[in-house]
Amino acid sequence: MSTILERLDRLPKRNLTVLALKGVSTLVPGGWRNLTSADELIADVMGSSDPELIAQVRARADTLSRARHEGYSRAMSLYDAVNRSQKAAGGLRVLANVAGALPLVKQMAQLTPASETLQAVDLSLKVAAEMLAFTQVNGLPGNSFGDFAASLREYTGEASVRMAAMVCFDALLPLGDDALQRLDGLLGRVGQKDLRQLPAYAGMASLIPGRGDEAHLSFLRQGVDTWLGWAGGFTSGLALTGQKAVRALESTLGPWQGGFDQLATFLDAFTDTYQHTGVQAIARRLVERAAAEI
Amino acid sequence: MSRTLRWVLGLVLVAGLLLGALLFLPFSSWLPGGTVANVPTGEVVNGTAFNRLFPKPQAGEDLIFTQEKRGFSQARLKEGDSTKALLSISDVITAPEAREKFSGASQQLRSWPLVEQGPQASALLVADRFQVKVIGQGTGLDQQKRHELIEAFDLPGLAALNPAAKSRRALPAGQGQPVRVPVPDRQPKEAADLNTPVLEPAA
Repeated sequence: MSTILERLDRLPKRNLTVLALKGVSTLVPGGWRNLTSADELIADVMGSSDPELIAQVRARADTLSRARHEGYSRAMSLYDAVNRSQKAAGGLRVLANVAGALPLVKQMAQLTPASETLQAVDLSLKVAAEMLAFTQVNGLPGNSFGDFAASLREYTGEASVRMAAMVCFDALLPLGDDALQRLDGLLGRVGQKDLRQLPAYAGMASLIPGRGDEAHLSFLRQGVDTWLGWAGGFTSGLALTGQKAVRALESTLGPWQGGFDQLATFLDAFTDTYQHTGVQAIARRLVERAAAEI
Repeated sequence: MSRTLRWVLGLVLVAGLLLGALLFLPFSSWLPGGTVANVPTGEVVNGTAFNRLFPKPQAGEDLIFTQEKRGFSQARLKEGDSTKALLSISDVITAPEAREKFSGASQQLRSWPLVEQGPQASALLVADRFQVKVIGQGTGLDQQKRHELIEAFDLPGLAALNPAAKSRRALPAGQGQPVRVPVPDRQPKEAADLNTPVLEPAA
């Protein structure tokens, strides 16, 4: 299996995913830079471009990401699972539309969206994956709850573009501007059968605390509850709406003539925003540790 | 033994091995190995023990812990929104080459070896076991300031940390002494301040 830094080096420099992220980053203060070079990242953290030093940090980072106990690769597999399922579900929905219809371009704008409940579960799985990945990558930093909360805030600040992408692509576009208010109600209607329909769940089930689908479902709801408090502030702070998100995306992707939910389906099927930013986030923390340990 | 029987037996054996391997696949993270440098996690000091030894932030600064793992703890020193430095303590038991670099150290701080790594990083090896490192971020920190930050760590407290207990399989069967449960013993404060040499982790 390739290490985290190898995957960082292989990330695309310019494709649909990058363009979509560039679009979303116009909504977030601080912006976003598509960092796809491990050596550049190491030089940035160490404040030095000495090739020998960079090679040392890199060797240490590779050792750390190969060690199963350290959680970096486990966090990566969480992101992979979520991404795979998002693409599979999105791709199926696109295929259902395209099959049998030759004028592909016309059909693209009429992609059937997933049912809202499924979309809500999908979002809750992403939130859970985000939390589990945080603890896998960073452990439980600090000796008090206050320390931990500060650490979480720091992390979300660093990952503001991926959070904005999650809020826009998985909540505001498919579920509408009142998505965050409706989310809890939607999750209340979710049964075990709905959960089982999502391929990501199968990949994540063993990492979610609790035994059985019932316990997992209540963990997901609790996770979303905590996340909602934060996401509400984030959304109102930046005044995010579906309309704004679409306009931001149009600035890089070009004009879109379908509905919001169709755009969400399109993005689900053809972009890997979650995985892309995930690799970058894990790589940064990994390099910061490797730099401190050499 | 007939030819077919031999073939069947061989195939059954191969299939059994394959099946066994597949059954163990989901448990791979619990199988031995998989730790950093294959050092058992029990022998590495937990990062929780390091947290209280970090320097207290001065007025206008924030200390935000970012990572805590076995043998490692890291925090960011922030001033407003910008990160000034990465502060970290790590247990070098999993990184022998990190310990080696101190053998040629020309500088010392409180009699512990101190080295510079590039223009932004200073590292100190405390009690031949724990590495304290300050890496300047953003606009950077000068060497003087980095050394002050390293001194602001609770270095005697760090030196007094007990390295985690060795694994117990060293006891010969049947004639061993009673097993000592690794309870963290609270040392009196004076003892900690006296810079007591730490127990060497047996190689």
